[in-house]
Amino acid sequence: MKVKLKIWDWPLRLFHWLLVLAVLGAYVTGKLGGLLTEWHSRLGGLVLGLLIFRFIWGVIGTTHARFLNFFPSFSRLAAYFKGGWQGAGHNPLGALAIIAKLTVLLLLVGTGLFANDDIGFEGPLFHGVNKDLSDKLSGWHSWLVNLMLGLVVLHVSAIIFYQWVKKTNLVLPMLTGNKQLPDTLAANSIGPVSPLRFVVALLVSTFVVWGVWSVELADYLTSLISKVMT
Amino acid sequence: MRLRCALGLILATLTTVATAGSVEDQIRFRQSAYSFMGWNTAKIKNQAVDHPESYNKDQIIAAANAIAAVANSSLLDLYAPGTDQGTGWKPSHLKADYFQKQDEVKEINAKFIKEANELQAVAATGDAAAVKTQFGKLGAACKSCHDLIRVRD
Repeated sequence: MKVKLKIWDWPLRLFHWLLVLAVLGAYVTGKLGGLLTEWHSRLGGLVLGLLIFRFIWGVIGTTHARFLNFFPSFSRLAAYFKGGWQGAGHNPLGALAIIAKLTVLLLLVGTGLFANDDIGFEGPLFHGVNKDLSDKLSGWHSWLVNLMLGLVVLHVSAIIFYQWVKKTNLVLPMLTGNKQLPDTLAANSIGPVSPLRFVVALLVSTFVVWGVWSVELADYLTSLISKVMT
Repeated sequence: MRLRCALGLILATLTTVATAGSVEDQIRFRQSAYSFMGWNTAKIKNQAVDHPESYNKDQIIAAANAIAAVANSSLLDLYAPGTDQGTGWKPSHLKADYFQKQDEVKEINAKFIKEANELQAVAATGDAAAVKTQFGKLGAACKSCHDLIRVRD
């Protein structure tokens, strides 16, 4: 018997769809250039904030949002490939893909912060490094885009595969939070979202993005780094 | 006839060498041109886009004039065969398939010159918002060429 279970909390779903929009927007504005480069930078800031939020939520969020609960350990992966995996949240293979995507996005944002385009764009932390290093990181940034594109294609293909072959809709649960699952998994339904935890995650991620973009903090960190180096 | 053709070719090659210099010179000239332009685009970016309150009409006119002058200086003469290799101030960043992409290169170059001229005209009016818009168009032209023929670090 199948029952409707709540598996994705609303901050996680909001994170997911905002990330889709931000990454899509960053990709398009990054390709078009011109004055849209300003928007590329802003969307990069949004991606950074969303990633930090996700990492915090991966510790203090509800059950299936937590990294430890879906971390694709060797034993979980082995069980999954033998067909013995049972669960309501991310399956181990999907978890692997998620961690890959989060890592590549973090690298994209990380390199973007120091990047320049030799036209008019300088990332918010550009002045913290020398031009040669910035050029190198800019090169990595555009190379990582291909990797991200590959992961997005994989992600969307997996969703289509689940829809057609496994007759399972993965998009709807990411919108509503609910998924039809065997009643043996009923205990995996998540509890309510703690407003306090959400506010903490939101405030910390907002503060970090603000800090990175505000010149004062960047200058302070730069002087700190040069002090440590000398 | 064949001799005349050959002579013509040699003469043409010699003229290019005379005006554009050796491979190393050509790479050095074009690197200088782009880095000088970078000084000027940075000025416009700073005053017209990032800090409109600091907009200085005369400085923007000077910058736009400099960019237009460089854009109209026949930069493509500095891309003779062989200049994808070699070192000017630093190693050449020209992709080897530059020479197979001449149609696109010429198209982008024409667009670059058009946008640079337009920026020069707009700068003269002192309209900061219009300069910002036009600077965006110029930047897009720069980028389309970077994406096409420049080797990434």
